[in-house]
Amino acid sequence: MRRILGGIGGALVFPMIAILIAFAIGAVIILATGNNPAAAYAALAKGAFGNPAAIGRTIVNTTPLIFTGLAVAVAFRTGLFNIGGEGQFYMGAIAAAFLGVSLGFLGFAAIPLVLIGCVLAGFLWGSLPGILKAYFGAHEVITTIMLNFIAIFLTAYLTRVPLAREGPIPGTEPVEAAIRIPLLGLGLGRANLGIMIALLAALVAYLLLWRTRRGFELRAVGLSPGAANYAGMGIGKNTVLALAIGGAFAGVGGGVEVLGVYGNMDLPFVRNIGFNGIGVALLGRNHPVGVVLGALLFGALASGAQQMQFDTQVPLDLASVLLAVILLFVTATKIVELILGKRARELVSGTRLERGLGS
Amino acid sequence: MEDFFGSIGPILAATIRNATPLVFAALGGMFSERSGVVNIGLEGLMLISAFAGVVGAFLSGSAWIGLLFAVGAGLTFGLVHAVMCVTFEADQIISGTAINLLALGGTGFLMVIVFNQGGTSPDVEKFSPVAIPLLSQIPVIGQALFDQSLLVYLMYAMVPITFFVLFRTPFGLRLRATGEVPEAVDTAGVSVTRMRYFGVALSGMLAALGGVYLSMGILSSFSENMTGGRGFIALAALIFGRWHPIGAAGAALLFGFAQALTIRVPPEAVPNEFIQMIPYILTIVVLAGFGGRAIAPAAVGKPYRKE
Repeated sequence: MRRILGGIGGALVFPMIAILIAFAIGAVIILATGNNPAAAYAALAKGAFGNPAAIGRTIVNTTPLIFTGLAVAVAFRTGLFNIGGEGQFYMGAIAAAFLGVSLGFLGFAAIPLVLIGCVLAGFLWGSLPGILKAYFGAHEVITTIMLNFIAIFLTAYLTRVPLAREGPIPGTEPVEAAIRIPLLGLGLGRANLGIMIALLAALVAYLLLWRTRRGFELRAVGLSPGAANYAGMGIGKNTVLALAIGGAFAGVGGGVEVLGVYGNMDLPFVRNIGFNGIGVALLGRNHPVGVVLGALLFGALASGAQQMQFDTQVPLDLASVLLAVILLFVTATKIVELILGKRARELVSGTRLERGLGS
Repeated sequence: MEDFFGSIGPILAATIRNATPLVFAALGGMFSERSGVVNIGLEGLMLISAFAGVVGAFLSGSAWIGLLFAVGAGLTFGLVHAVMCVTFEADQIISGTAINLLALGGTGFLMVIVFNQGGTSPDVEKFSPVAIPLLSQIPVIGQALFDQSLLVYLMYAMVPITFFVLFRTPFGLRLRATGEVPEAVDTAGVSVTRMRYFGVALSGMLAALGGVYLSMGILSSFSENMTGGRGFIALAALIFGRWHPIGAAGAALLFGFAQALTIRVPPEAVPNEFIQMIPYILTIVVLAGFGGRAIAPAAVGKPYRKE
């Protein structure tokens, strides 16, 4: 029993408890609004998976969350907290909006080039908090939050002035149809091959972290900075790389969003995609497979919410409430201890950083 | 020159208006962080309270009841953060992030339930400006400083009060010690848990005053996501002000001034977006140690476990 709990069970205990608590609280809220929780949740599921259009919406919602989830997870494995997914996502998106237009003459062949540009944009933006942490001692939680806002205002300016399209419609010049990421078709609406790129990114994250020397170093620094340092793995270098690689994943995500869903960038763009990526990563225990599953849950909740509001008059914001409650409970060690006893503490590793914010 | 003096008043008035919610929330964040609990949920605490205030005023017809609702909501969700971080030992950053998301989703949800509409609530009674006799007659600055909402005067008072409580009372000493060396506080027979609950609860109530000023001091209604990142600017002010009440208030005024400039500076000269970046850039600069390092309380962010 202990072995099972420590293995797959261990990986699932925290997420399952958080999800169950969230849905239980959600049910109470739904009851309080005079609706039937079973009916509301059924409508939610129908809105997420009930027909091809619903599945398509879920895919569209899931895709960016895989990227921002990976951005958090990769940094977390190195013991770093990347709250900068939002800004890195924006930087990737604006890079795609710019390159998609300026490389437009290349047609379809421009897509990989544009996405490489997004990787670079995210990588560079992500490396900033890494450098600030490694060489100036500025804590990454605060710097990534601040850099989010700087990125949002920077892209707002770029969207409004230098990259603005002609005419009265706000937003950047749309990219040519040939440079859009192809739709999946099959009645899935706006769902596009971006989901494949997201899954590929998850695979890349897995291979990088567990099948390369660099990945070993990144994880070693996360598990035991002292030992890693003693073994000659530069902490500073790995800190910068972890946040930069995380940024690269979020950056591609922004690019895929622009090339796949919108075709240009306009504000307000996505909201809280970076913050929800934290929930996705923690729910997925900072493992790429878990991230994909976590993103699917978050994506499904977001897309099912409209159906729920339509069928049962439960406001669609309930989905955001559920996501927040999941996030609230997913690292709550003591709650799991109350349920499972002291063993829980062994299961904690991988969901939290045992480290303060002070100097 | 006449133009110059003519515009000082309005700019100063706008600075005060912009700074007031930042000062409240930053002072709140200070109580929490000085006790050792990071509070990046200030944004959410402000938003929930801004909403609760409007609901209270809407139901009762009185702005004062609204204020009571707002402070109650700030306290309640502050305590949620405390329970998660202190009692359940959840990660403080994650709990704060969750509270922000909960506030955004929760107020959106409750808008539909309470007002049967999304977007913006109906108008309620607000805390209108009250001119202080004599002081408001001072040329140039009088009206800007002393013809403001009661909540602004409360903000003026709160800065020295916070300073006094933090640095001149046994409670403040214990609170600060809890954030620096919790072991020592524990050894001295003071409960770390209790002190942290106090710190986080105070942060919720102060952030609430900032929130209610937005919805019922400046405006007289709630609209979705109306805090628009002010909780994070308050966090920036707290850090830029080095976790000190006077410093934080000064930083909040500086950031409020920058915001006030955005409507004055012609966008051809300096685009608004760049002025709006200032608080965030300055915060990174001081955190990175340029111009005197900002150092957080030593134990902030770490759950305390009795050995």
